[in-house]
Amino acid sequence: MWVWFFKLGSPKWFYELSGKWLPWLVAAMVIFMTIGLVWGLLFLPPDYQQGFTSRILIVHVAVAGTSLAFFPLMFVAGTITLVWRMKLADMVAKNAAILGAWFSFITLATGSLWGSVMWGTWWEWTDSRLVSMLFQLFLLLGVISLRSALEDSDAAAKACALLSIVGCINVVIIKYSVEWWNTLHQVSSPVTTDTSSPNGPEFWIATLIMIVAVYLFLTVSLILSTRNEILERERKAQWVKDLVLKAK
Amino acid sequence: MKPHRRKKLGIILFIAAGLSVAVGFTAFALKQNINMFYTPTQVAEGEVGPGQHFRIGGMVKVGTVLGADDSLKVNFVATDFVSDVPIQYEGILPDLFREGQGIVAEGEMDAAGVFQASRVLAKHDENFMSPEVKAALDAAGASADNHMPSGTN
Repeated sequence: MWVWFFKLGSPKWFYELSGKWLPWLVAAMVIFMTIGLVWGLLFLPPDYQQGFTSRILIVHVAVAGTSLAFFPLMFVAGTITLVWRMKLADMVAKNAAILGAWFSFITLATGSLWGSVMWGTWWEWTDSRLVSMLFQLFLLLGVISLRSALEDSDAAAKACALLSIVGCINVVIIKYSVEWWNTLHQVSSPVTTDTSSPNGPEFWIATLIMIVAVYLFLTVSLILSTRNEILERERKAQWVKDLVLKAK
Repeated sequence: MKPHRRKKLGIILFIAAGLSVAVGFTAFALKQNINMFYTPTQVAEGEVGPGQHFRIGGMVKVGTVLGADDSLKVNFVATDFVSDVPIQYEGILPDLFREGQGIVAEGEMDAAGVFQASRVLAKHDENFMSPEVKAALDAAGASADNHMPSGTN
């Protein structure tokens, strides 16, 4: 297991392995994304109160759920960078922050759209779910600007790992905010296989497909951006030069 | 694992644990401030000071919505099925506002004990139903109200 772990830390090894995985991951992503979006946005039954507005939530729930994965990922990557000095983990952490900021933004945007129709308000500063999600976006923007200010140094890795700890605590707060405090935001919908009760399969199967699609999108995006980062940071290494020459 | 790595990992985990505890205590101390609204029971128990601007969250009690004919004034009762609070509001209500619906109203208590709302928001619950399922449930006499806390109506 340790051999595998240290092998993964080698940028060259990761570059070659991820190159083999990518076509499969992209194919799976396209399939799930197409099914999820077409089903969710065109064929999902309307909700009896919300009408077709409920379809926004297919995207919202999938992106919001996935956006909570970034800080735990960055914390693990940051710890590996600090403890085992693995360059690859640092590259993953750096790109995860940028992706995570976009995911958080899309979560807030789709949620606002739905809220403006259903709640009668775009934004409520007093709702802990909404504010903790906005806090996550700001934290990620903070990590991104720290990185660009400190330029891939040791200090950047340390500061970002520390912010990731705060981010992970915030993820727990986001998740349970709707249960610990009174909020305008509803709690998570329980799912049931019973077709004649609320939250039946006609709603959640499409959501589940969308969640898988968004996770695949996250994986593919992260691999692609990390591969770019590897080529840039290792541009003086012999194997990258060979790769470029071969491509010509 | 080499000792200096173990030490570093220890430091990281110590910081993580320390920050978690700090945030946990802060959140606990601020509990009431983080809550978006008071329930009608909390209001009845006098948790809100006189003249305070605050929010009430509850269900619109069935059969209590009275709209004026010549204005946007509307009166209704918010309930958590233990206590009731009468609310008066003038303005446009969200589409989702109806009897039995969860709402959050923002405003102040007047001298007569009526909550003068300056804003009313609709709160959606976690249940999603297609019109067919809703119709089937209604036909079976088990309306959506059954998913709300017991003691409805």
